[in-house]
Amino acid sequence: MKKLIIFLAVLSLTVSCADLDVAPKNVVTADQLLSDESGMDIYLARLYSYMPYEDFKYLPQWGFNFNGWLVSIGISGTGECLDRDGICAAFTSESTPYWSMAFRELREANFLLENLPKYKSHYSEAMYNDYLGEAYYIRATVFYAMARRFGGVPLVTKVIDYPDKSDNLEVPRSSEEDTWNQVLSDYDKAIELLEPTSPKDGYANKYIALAFKSEAMLYAGSVAKYNQTVPGYLTGIGQKTGVRVIGFAPDKWEADSKKYFTEAYNAAKEVINSGIYSLYMKDWAPNDPEAQYKNMVDMFFDDSSPENIAVKKYIYPTSTHGYDAYNSPFIFRSPLSSGMCPTLDFLELFDGFPRYADGTVRVTDGTSNTTGHYLMYDSPLDFFKNAEPRLRAYVIFPGDQFKGKTIEIRMGTYTGDVPIKPFWSDYSYNSAEKTYQQLPEYTQTPKTLYLSPSNGSSQEIVHLDNGTTMTASGENGPFYANGESCLTGLLVRKYLNPDPSAVIGEGKSSQHFILMRYGEVLLNMAESAVELSLAGVPSPDGKDLLQQATDAVNQIRQRAGATLLTSTIPSTDAGRDIVRKERRKELAMEQKTKWDIRRWRVQHYEGRDGFWGEQRDKNAYSNNSNYRFRGLYPFYSTKAGKWFFDAHFQAVSLKTFNYNILDYYFAIPDNEVSKSKYIDQQPNR
Amino acid sequence: MNKKVFYILFLSSLLLASCDMFEMDNYDAPDATIKGAVVDDETGDSILTDQGSEGIRVRMLQLDYSDNAQHNPDFYCMPNGTFQNTKEFKGRYNVTVDGPFIPIVRENSSGIPIADGSQIVNLKGKGTTNVVFKVKPFLEVEFVGYPTVSNGIITAKVKVVRRVSRTEFQSLIEPMGGYDDSYPNITDIQLFVSYSSTVGYRARDERWSNHIDYSGSSFDDLLGTPVTITSAKGAAIPSGRHVFIRAAARINYDTPKGSGTRRWNYSKPMEVIIP
Repeated sequence: MKKLIIFLAVLSLTVSCADLDVAPKNVVTADQLLSDESGMDIYLARLYSYMPYEDFKYLPQWGFNFNGWLVSIGISGTGECLDRDGICAAFTSESTPYWSMAFRELREANFLLENLPKYKSHYSEAMYNDYLGEAYYIRATVFYAMARRFGGVPLVTKVIDYPDKSDNLEVPRSSEEDTWNQVLSDYDKAIELLEPTSPKDGYANKYIALAFKSEAMLYAGSVAKYNQTVPGYLTGIGQKTGVRVIGFAPDKWEADSKKYFTEAYNAAKEVINSGIYSLYMKDWAPNDPEAQYKNMVDMFFDDSSPENIAVKKYIYPTSTHGYDAYNSPFIFRSPLSSGMCPTLDFLELFDGFPRYADGTVRVTDGTSNTTGHYLMYDSPLDFFKNAEPRLRAYVIFPGDQFKGKTIEIRMGTYTGDVPIKPFWSDYSYNSAEKTYQQLPEYTQTPKTLYLSPSNGSSQEIVHLDNGTTMTASGENGPFYANGESCLTGLLVRKYLNPDPSAVIGEGKSSQHFILMRYGEVLLNMAESAVELSLAGVPSPDGKDLLQQATDAVNQIRQRAGATLLTSTIPSTDAGRDIVRKERRKELAMEQKTKWDIRRWRVQHYEGRDGFWGEQRDKNAYSNNSNYRFRGLYPFYSTKAGKWFFDAHFQAVSLKTFNYNILDYYFAIPDNEVSKSKYIDQQPNR
Repeated sequence: MNKKVFYILFLSSLLLASCDMFEMDNYDAPDATIKGAVVDDETGDSILTDQGSEGIRVRMLQLDYSDNAQHNPDFYCMPNGTFQNTKEFKGRYNVTVDGPFIPIVRENSSGIPIADGSQIVNLKGKGTTNVVFKVKPFLEVEFVGYPTVSNGIITAKVKVVRRVSRTEFQSLIEPMGGYDDSYPNITDIQLFVSYSSTVGYRARDERWSNHIDYSGSSFDDLLGTPVTITSAKGAAIPSGRHVFIRAAARINYDTPKGSGTRRWNYSKPMEVIIP
């Protein structure tokens, strides 16, 4: 007992009256971070690491996870590319919604804006302004990323103390209009404060902010205008707050869309007028398709490209990604391959192919792909000999070179008589599920069509008359039962490292991602100019809107080796479509197209005629809310010793996409709605 | 000494324990049942639909919690226009349905209610509660005669009539704000074909199903007259098979407003034997 008393007495002595008000040594304070440039580097490095930049570490189906697992670009039902996996689905949601992490980013940007003034004396005036500009730029980027996903979002523009009374903690969603106005004003503040050149790699600058402002305002203007084209008009009021959280009021949308298009035009023009940037033309030569093709391959790898405005840089071995590991042709598989197979529908946007009367690519000598006989080619590349150089820079054609190797792509080998009649009597959407291995030419004995389920020993062997043998399919497929082979007859080339000595593997790629380039600024200017002209708004800077749009498109086309426009773009929907189509071609596989077709509101069935930027009959590739894409399948005829092509819906790993009007605005995460008295779900969900 | 410290620690650890630790932490499975039907307010016939997110949607919101409660996961009427859910928690609910009929809950553009046909129900444990919604369907769709089949292609005649006239539609919908004359236009008729007797948009076979789109008010001339529609050309249905067909039509109005989901009014399914 005595011992216990002593024990308690000793215990009581350990109580101290000193306040525990000593700054913990293992916590970095604002004072340390914000008071000098090295601290600010750390602060901004974190902010820029979590920027909603869509690059080699963003997969639309998954959202921002900031890792590069399975990254493929253009596979979200945009028609650019196809992939075998479930990640190849229409852009209707992100499994990690861009919501809570956005507010963390906003909080840190707001903290900088509120606290940096205390340390103003530590910096030169220019540097101090630039830091504030970075914070505004980051905030604008976050609000922009949220607005195009959700419409109106909570506009958190100050640091919210925590803990606090819950009423002070809750910020309801603002209207979509107010959200875009916040994006606009944050970009404008950033433009005013930022230096013309980035103080450090990875920081923003005035022109980066201007270029992204033009992109954001083009989005806002399009949404305001094209929500009106959706059946029933796309707008609605939040249940809890009565705020117009999606869409624009009937009496506001027109004025708003004009305002945003004007802002987009002015911002793009300021970048153009600065004269700092230009299209990459280093290897370009007139009338030389080979040089023009090489130029457009190199432009994505040249760090000194005058076209680059904002670049997300990677450095081996500390900061890398796996783009090559997932998207290279099958023969380079490590560990995966063929994640991006461009579609025939995409190819049909480009010049240089023979066509039928309906505009589809010609593969037979008849009036459509069900009549006549297949056109025969000595080599598969002959089919592409007049193809636009830009397409060749973006897509690997069957038989073309990549990393010093010939890329053999062959669906099958045909041993029947020539000339050859089309395999199918019906190539319509409804027969898309028919595959080559169901053809009687393949199933009957003796068969005249040889196909392979997979590579290596699974290849069927064709015995030729001269005693030699060949494999039924090409080295890279397409193999009808192997989704890691080429799925469409075409493979991506854009951004794949062309250096034959470069090692392919996960975490081995370090090519930079160009987040914003001058080519897009030209197209932003052209599209806003045509939209302004359509809306009857006089030119903001007095220059002829349509002439400038025409010149911009022609600059892009000249570099691409495409046919130039010979007359001025008309002020009609058809004129607008010239610019849209150019954009879809030029910016394909750069994470941009999914947003373009979203803001044009051309993904739902009723609006789908405009899906390709030009007008195409939606019933050719869709059935109500579902739609599919086609491939261009090369075959070799042993009798003729020649190649022919069949244009068929995706014959390997067929993907069916689905898009509804609802999907133009993502759902607010359910847990955020149910735990708050203020956060509204989308009114149409 | 040491022992005592252990005693103290042991006894105080008991203070932290709760008797709940020894009970199964489980909540009884939901056992209340709601059964319902959506019927035409004039004829009493069920509103035919399709079971899927394009069909008649049933939304239940439990009212026993705070005002920011979220509705239960939506479910959908069966093709015959009735619904049943046997796994609801007991409690007080607001039940509402959205489908190809005049919305039963209507508000003007500032959120002031004009009409509220939603129902409050008390679901009791192990009990069944019945609800009936009387609604005004947009259209009535039916087959005229028996479809013919040649070379695996079905040819059917479909008659569509308005159950809500343009003027009546306007008088009910216009007060909700943002009215457009194009809303009552009939935009398309569909012929769904499937091996399944629950044929509809969701269960259709895409190879054979077909549709005809109409622009503007061009369908108005065809109202009440048999319109010929065939299954998809070029894809013959194999002979000897039994398939089921249904026709559907819809107007240019989404329910609920802003969802972009324009729901179809359906005909009864019909079995067709492919000779």
